[in-house]
Amino acid sequence: MKLKEIERTAAQAWSPANNHPIYLATGTSAQQLDASFSTNATLEIFEVDFRDPSLDLKQKGTLPASNRFHKLIWGNFGNGSPESSGVIIGGGDNGVLTMYSVHRILASKSEPVIGQTEKHSGPVRALDFNPFQSNLLASGANDSEIFIWDLNNFSVPMTPGAKSQPHEDISVVSWNRQVQHILSSAHPSGKAVVWDLRKNEPIIKVSDHSNRMHCSGMAWHPEVATQLVLSSEDDRLPVIQIWDLRFATSPLSQLEGHTRGVLSVSWCQADPELLLSSAKDNRILCWNPNMGEVVYELPIRSQWCFDVQWCPRNPSVFSAATFDGWINIYSVMGGNLEAQQKTQADKISSSFNNLDPFGTGQILPPLQVPEQVAQTTLIPPLKKPPKWIRRPVGVSFAFGGKLITFGLTKAPGQQMQQTYPHQVFISQVTTETEFLLRSRELQMALQSGNLLDYCQGKIQTAKLPFDENLWNFLKVNLEQESRSKLLKLLGYSKEDLQKKITSCLSNGIPDKQPLPEANETNAAQPDQLLINSSDAVAAVSSSAFFDNLIPQNISTLEIPVTEDTDGLISQALLLGNFESAVELCMQAERFADAIILAIAGGENLLRETQKHYFAKQKTKLSVLLSSIVQQKWQDIVCTCNLQSWKEALAILLTYSKHEDYTQLCDMLGARLESEGDAGLSNDACLCYISSGNVERLVECWVKNHETSSPLALQDLIEKVMVLNRSIEMLQGTAGPAPGPVLAERITQYASLLASQGCLAAAMDYLPRSSKELLIEQLRDRLFHAQGANVGDQQPPPFPYTRVNVGVIKHTSPAAKGGSAPEGAASKTGPRHPEKPNYQSSFAPSAPSQPSVPSLFTPQPVPAMSMTPHHVTPPQASTGPQTGVYSRGSPYPQYNLGLVPAAISGQAVSQSQPFGPSGVRPVGPAPFPSQPSLPGQSMPMTSSGVPPPGPTVFTPASVPSSQLPAACPLPVASQSPLGFSSAPFNCPMNMGYPQGGPGAPSTKPLPAASIPPPPTAAQESWTDPSAIRGGLQKKKKTRRKLEDALQRLECLYEKLREQALSPAILMGLHEIARCVEARNYQQGLLVHTQVVSSSSFSEVSGFMPILKVLMTIAGKLNV
Amino acid sequence: MIHDAQMDYYGTRLATCSSDRSVKIFDVRNGGQILIADLRGHEGPVWQVAWAHPMYGNILASCSYDRKVIVWKEENGTWEKTYEYTGHDSSVNSVCWAPHDYGLILACGSSDGAISLLSYTGDGQWEVKKISNAHTIGCNAVSWAPAVVPGSLIEQPSGQKPNYIKRFASGGCDNLVKIWKEEDGQWKEEQKLEAHSDWVRDVAWAPSIGLPTSTIASCSQDGRVFIWTCDDASGNSWSPKLLHKFNDVVWHVSWSITANILAVSGGDNKVTATSDHYTRFAMFLEPDEN
Repeated sequence: MKLKEIERTAAQAWSPANNHPIYLATGTSAQQLDASFSTNATLEIFEVDFRDPSLDLKQKGTLPASNRFHKLIWGNFGNGSPESSGVIIGGGDNGVLTMYSVHRILASKSEPVIGQTEKHSGPVRALDFNPFQSNLLASGANDSEIFIWDLNNFSVPMTPGAKSQPHEDISVVSWNRQVQHILSSAHPSGKAVVWDLRKNEPIIKVSDHSNRMHCSGMAWHPEVATQLVLSSEDDRLPVIQIWDLRFATSPLSQLEGHTRGVLSVSWCQADPELLLSSAKDNRILCWNPNMGEVVYELPIRSQWCFDVQWCPRNPSVFSAATFDGWINIYSVMGGNLEAQQKTQADKISSSFNNLDPFGTGQILPPLQVPEQVAQTTLIPPLKKPPKWIRRPVGVSFAFGGKLITFGLTKAPGQQMQQTYPHQVFISQVTTETEFLLRSRELQMALQSGNLLDYCQGKIQTAKLPFDENLWNFLKVNLEQESRSKLLKLLGYSKEDLQKKITSCLSNGIPDKQPLPEANETNAAQPDQLLINSSDAVAAVSSSAFFDNLIPQNISTLEIPVTEDTDGLISQALLLGNFESAVELCMQAERFADAIILAIAGGENLLRETQKHYFAKQKTKLSVLLSSIVQQKWQDIVCTCNLQSWKEALAILLTYSKHEDYTQLCDMLGARLESEGDAGLSNDACLCYISSGNVERLVECWVKNHETSSPLALQDLIEKVMVLNRSIEMLQGTAGPAPGPVLAERITQYASLLASQGCLAAAMDYLPRSSKELLIEQLRDRLFHAQGANVGDQQPPPFPYTRVNVGVIKHTSPAAKGGSAPEGAASKTGPRHPEKPNYQSSFAPSAPSQPSVPSLFTPQPVPAMSMTPHHVTPPQASTGPQTGVYSRGSPYPQYNLGLVPAAISGQAVSQSQPFGPSGVRPVGPAPFPSQPSLPGQSMPMTSSGVPPPGPTVFTPASVPSSQLPAACPLPVASQSPLGFSSAPFNCPMNMGYPQGGPGAPSTKPLPAASIPPPPTAAQESWTDPSAIRGGLQKKKKTRRKLEDALQRLECLYEKLREQALSPAILMGLHEIARCVEARNYQQGLLVHTQVVSSSSFSEVSGFMPILKVLMTIAGKLNV
Repeated sequence: MIHDAQMDYYGTRLATCSSDRSVKIFDVRNGGQILIADLRGHEGPVWQVAWAHPMYGNILASCSYDRKVIVWKEENGTWEKTYEYTGHDSSVNSVCWAPHDYGLILACGSSDGAISLLSYTGDGQWEVKKISNAHTIGCNAVSWAPAVVPGSLIEQPSGQKPNYIKRFASGGCDNLVKIWKEEDGQWKEEQKLEAHSDWVRDVAWAPSIGLPTSTIASCSQDGRVFIWTCDDASGNSWSPKLLHKFNDVVWHVSWSITANILAVSGGDNKVTATSDHYTRFAMFLEPDEN
């Protein structure tokens, strides 16, 4: 693929590998003239910027040169200084060698030429920098003249030894890439001479004796010190010879592919298996010199390319200078050759300026370029992957904090250097040690239930008073009589108060004015209802005042009947007119009298009077009094000064009813929170702790606390978990499912734990009951990530909408039987039993989680594709539901969402499956009355390729309202029990097709290799389900049966894995037979035999539950 | 030589690919290692593998020097080719599945300079969009941005399809990291991130952890590892931060699931894990042996 182009007839030189950006220097080529016959010479520097997709090169510097160039090279000399970009050396006619400072050219500074010499006698065609010492330059010219220059002292050259005889031109000089004092020169005669500069003499001459070699190019092997290549320009021998100096009598091998003489070679420094060559056959080839094969070819061009050079910095790139006056830059990685030739042809024409160069009076027609290739030519990339794109090492993270590394010379953590080219290491990364430590502490506390000690510890280690306070609150929540203890925490203890009151009373408060005026003692307080402890004293002890007041008024009874207020009151009382009397008292602001009268006047009057009183009295205390007397707790919460939130909370703790309490606490918290003040928000947290509102606590917390760091998150979760536990203790049940904010944090926390490898712990924190998508997703992931460790647990529902990928295939049963050999089954066996589990579960979850976008248009799924396991066949007939791609499932209950459709009856047309089918390799069916099972491919069927015959479950055309005995077991066992807590709200009462005793078990069975007994045994497990069918109302047994469902899964698991010994299988088979015959007594006997004759560990998972089931069935006689 | 090893979503299966043209799948649950599949179909070294989200089943994509991308699928315990893409003219160096919320979309970066986006449209059909000339000389790596609905972290009203902005990052032989954005079904170059002085070998967009900041790690032939961050929602201003300069090529960068650790593997045969919380980049540690 062509990347860049520039129209120059020039010698070229790339900037060294360490130079960034990449430059290309061009110097006008000697011995080539264009139509202008100009003999000017220019040295130019272009930036090769691959970020720019255009073909143009940006000129960065230009300089008129005194000589045209035979050879140009760019070296690192002087690169020590920051601004230097090295030097360019040009070899010109008449033995001129010129040294340019690149920096000066680029910066357009004066005196760019920093050295020039004319020591050579003829044109200098050969130049090379020593790869080890950037100041050492070798040059070669006519008459076998080779000089070694020290650029620090450019005037006096050295020679590598005596001139070789006979004198001839030097076409190439080249330093060895491995040994710094070895230099070689090549001559047109076909000879190459290797010089040792330490000995100052030629040490070996390489020459093939055909005399037809005509050396145009030479290159040392980039890695093997003793190998070099020579290219021959002779058309009769257009080859590249590979020589090894250890066997220098004849070439090691010869690369033959060019049809005419080779003009130049360049060996890739980044990959020694790539050698470029250009030849007079107009081709540019790239060879793998080891294999002697051409790995890349640039299509035929119109002109010879006299020089190819790999780019030292960008290994995919090389440049080619052609005699038609272009320098092109190509990538060997293939791609489009684009419309390049056209632009060049145009430019060739226009170089004649469309004038009339020959004076014929006719303008020349545009130049035709007959060789022009197709406008877009695809060039294949290197046949052999180059070394530089082969990734030798790698690393990736995986779920659970696993780190996968490969290609390392040592295993992570190992000291010994060792190569593991074919090994992949999986390591566990733990970074948050303190976090894990604290998390473990929390977990231990939660498991042991010893949270009080945990809180105590937290209180003692708390650094901030607020933190300490918070833990105090949390701790109190866990204790008995939490309300009074909370009051104490707020600074109100009943005992203390009693003491205060006692002392207060003995100090003569009764002498003071009656209650309304009592608040004068609080004159210093702010305006709003600001309750402090002395107010509380007054409030709580108000009745005591009255007790004390009454006796004081006893004296001789004197009834005034005057016309003043006293008299009128007396008169009203005499007449029993309490209302008027009270009114009079109120008017006279004799409130105490009014209240006393009102008490006598009945409840209504009292209430009215209180109301009036509070309306009239606008003191600070009165609001409190009014609220307490009238039980307007909400008023307190809504109006209290936020500074006295503690008192408000104390009131709630003292008075409010349990059912209002949490709500009021939350309101108070919300008020505090809404202030936006950090301190008040912290207080709000205390309110939420008091109310036990976890969600609000979290919401409030995250507003004011950073929770992104692990430890900060740990801080929050500790509190949440302790509070949650206290609520559980209080209510005796699990707390409500977490709201979105808490769910997010919990998920974050569990993710963090998971990322440190604590999968089981992470799982524990995620509430099963939660419907939060985040939690469900993480639960699903954690469950499966733990592999077999959670084998006895029910997998959580798959929280995504399944999408089926690929064309649905229709495989014939026979083909299927052949293509699913036992090997395949057993190979994948360990994963299989669990795989379908979560595959199945998504179906019902889809409708309940509309937030998961279903991006795929529903597509009609042929009935053939339906899974063999359950009742999905009618899917084919239910358009809208096919949006959910059902997959094979051993747990058909999860697909209950599809069941209503399943009853459409249409699918019957698909069913012919249950006759003894050819795919069933098991022996004669033990129960002739039952159909044989679906084919052996069943357990593996995810979707798509079930054998068409036995795949389809036969729904009878008449849906039965009664739960059938033989419907799929897990369904049956769940549905009659309601199982409302299950995450699938399925229409249980829809009923299942009455399959009769012959209905197939839809459980997936182990592959063909499973022996008959378990098959039969499984068949009849449908009967226990029938038992359960009759037990709907029996609440007591219900629980047992729920448990049974789980345990039976264990059995199915083992059956699928074929993990059971033949003896047990026989036993199960026998039990099944007994159950089928309703002979539970016999069944129990067999059961006992099996248990006694088997190893406990093998049967402990399921045998007990079989016994329970049979016992229940026997009792109920179903 | 193994070129890539990736665990599936659950971390229970490991897929590896190698110079020997094979893709192998191992069951690695509970510390075991059982070879469960040896997938043959590539005709050159296989560079990368990528697991699709499990909601699409058991799907694995692989890319190779043979210019092909193969999507493998497990059915009934048997892994088979479900799709083969041959639209690239050169080595396909990187494959990466889009966040599952977008559907099943695979981005492939190739040495022909193009990036292909293969979207599954149902019924075994795939739609191909191609960005030609994404990176001159070649694209070495692609990595999707996490699915985040712009502007809010609040869930969309149920039933409504969230208005995702699809983005991914790519790194190439033009020393650039580029960010691509889909607009009206067309992929457009949104940003060009320049800091590396040699080929970008790998890019990794950090998983979202709920913060508005986007983060990309890139590593290069020049030994440098950069962390690019963008705080504004429009995604316009990215700023680089040099994480470390190694002495040799850095081949891979990989974020941990919680985006707090970046693992870096370089040609000097060291794996370095770097912990950061977007603020501190200083901690280097060797992974624990297990």
